[in-house]
Amino acid sequence: MTTITYVEPSGNRVTVDVTEGWSLMQAAIANGVEGITGECGGSCACATCHCYVDEARMADVPAAAEGELGMLAHVAAERRPNSRLACQIKASAAIDGLVVHLPETQE
Amino acid sequence: MFSFDPYSPAVDADPFPFYKTLRDEYPCFWSKEAQMWILSRYADIVSAGQDWQTYSSAKGNLMTELPNRAGATLGTTDPPRHDRLRGLIQHAFMKRNLESLTEPIRDIARTTAQALAGEKQFDFISEFSSKFTVRVLFAALGLPMENEQTVRDKAVMMVQSDPHTRAKGPEHIAAYNWMQEYAAGVIAERRARPLNDLISHFSMAEIDGDRLDEREVLLTTTTLIMAGIESLGGFMTMFALNLADHADARRQCVANPVLLVDAVEESLRFNTSAQRFRRCLQKDVTLHGQTMRAGDFVCLAYGSGNRDERQYPNPDVYDITRKPRGHLGFGGGVHACLGTAIARLSVKIAFEEFHKVFPDYHRVQEQLPWMPSSTFRSPLRLEIAIH
Repeated sequence: MTTITYVEPSGNRVTVDVTEGWSLMQAAIANGVEGITGECGGSCACATCHCYVDEARMADVPAAAEGELGMLAHVAAERRPNSRLACQIKASAAIDGLVVHLPETQE
Repeated sequence: MFSFDPYSPAVDADPFPFYKTLRDEYPCFWSKEAQMWILSRYADIVSAGQDWQTYSSAKGNLMTELPNRAGATLGTTDPPRHDRLRGLIQHAFMKRNLESLTEPIRDIARTTAQALAGEKQFDFISEFSSKFTVRVLFAALGLPMENEQTVRDKAVMMVQSDPHTRAKGPEHIAAYNWMQEYAAGVIAERRARPLNDLISHFSMAEIDGDRLDEREVLLTTTTLIMAGIESLGGFMTMFALNLADHADARRQCVANPVLLVDAVEESLRFNTSAQRFRRCLQKDVTLHGQTMRAGDFVCLAYGSGNRDERQYPNPDVYDITRKPRGHLGFGGGVHACLGTAIARLSVKIAFEEFHKVFPDYHRVQEQLPWMPSSTFRSPLRLEIAIH
């Protein structure tokens, strides 16, 4: 299990034990985390699982691939250097304890 | 001795009691009849769907695969090839790019529903959902409005399987071949006279400087037509069935059409038409005390995961206030359905318009004639009576 803390748009913090290999989007919606939609189901096709990765941990998260970078252009909230799509980040020991902030809006 | 045969008419008619036994007693079950493992719990299906390196789609994703299709379509390739192929197509199906289709879809829905005005009883499938879905898909793909009924009939036939031989029969293969020839005709036409549409772009697209393989162009186009018609039509029919059977939910949706959005999501969870897809293991995996071997096929029973009480309380209750996030009605992971946005949009608009003409209806048949298919589940005919 990888422990991930989601900070909902309200500021509420939800910590979830995520099964290794699950995406942070899948774990968030399966556990009722607010502030993430994941409309396309995890195929990197909708930009509604936008999150901000804790800047101090950016190096621990594998870099975004071309498809994700293209889709990040379509996020509804402000795109920042630490913007990622949660469906493209998979739980692993390297990101244990990661905190991700969820934006005000996904659509 | 428990058995689970996805080809049996009993499973076509009502897979849910079988799924419950699978989840509770045999969460990693070898089906002798289907010659594959069956995963039925929500968490196991999500895990497998995320792990394409282990659960490969490259040997086909339909439970009963069509010949020579695997490896040439979005659903039957793995990353990175899959991602590049999908990158060529998916922009056309993104929500924000569907706005121009909203009014044409509404026109199609209105016209199709109004043509039935005054009827007291009819088959929802032949009279509404088939006509609507074919016209919507033709509009979305820019296909010429001809042969509509034949295209629809072939799409529905090619996804079926023979319950006795547990394979595709000659009639299913013939429909598949017909659809390939139809797709080939459309592709040739677009190449000769390109338009600013999906098939024109796709049929001339390149990946890393290489033209797409002819088989990829042909079978991906064939699959888009099949999925667009059969999957959308099948789901719409299941949605109509749910609203016909659940009068309270229907009345709420008629009074407040915004609720259709929630009702659609609950239907995708409750009894989605895409019940089961398959993967092929790339390495040995031990799960719930069973060891599945590299090369074995594995069925991801989405329809069972959606009824898993470990994820959804009271899963056998159709509750449009549930808002079932994370359901598997469109699959999940890299192979989640390409058409999620157009399916949601189309079904919502279809029922907004259908309910203006027919706000009150119920199901006539006690027993429904279910389509023989190891992958999809929807009735072949759905008679509804208007109140």
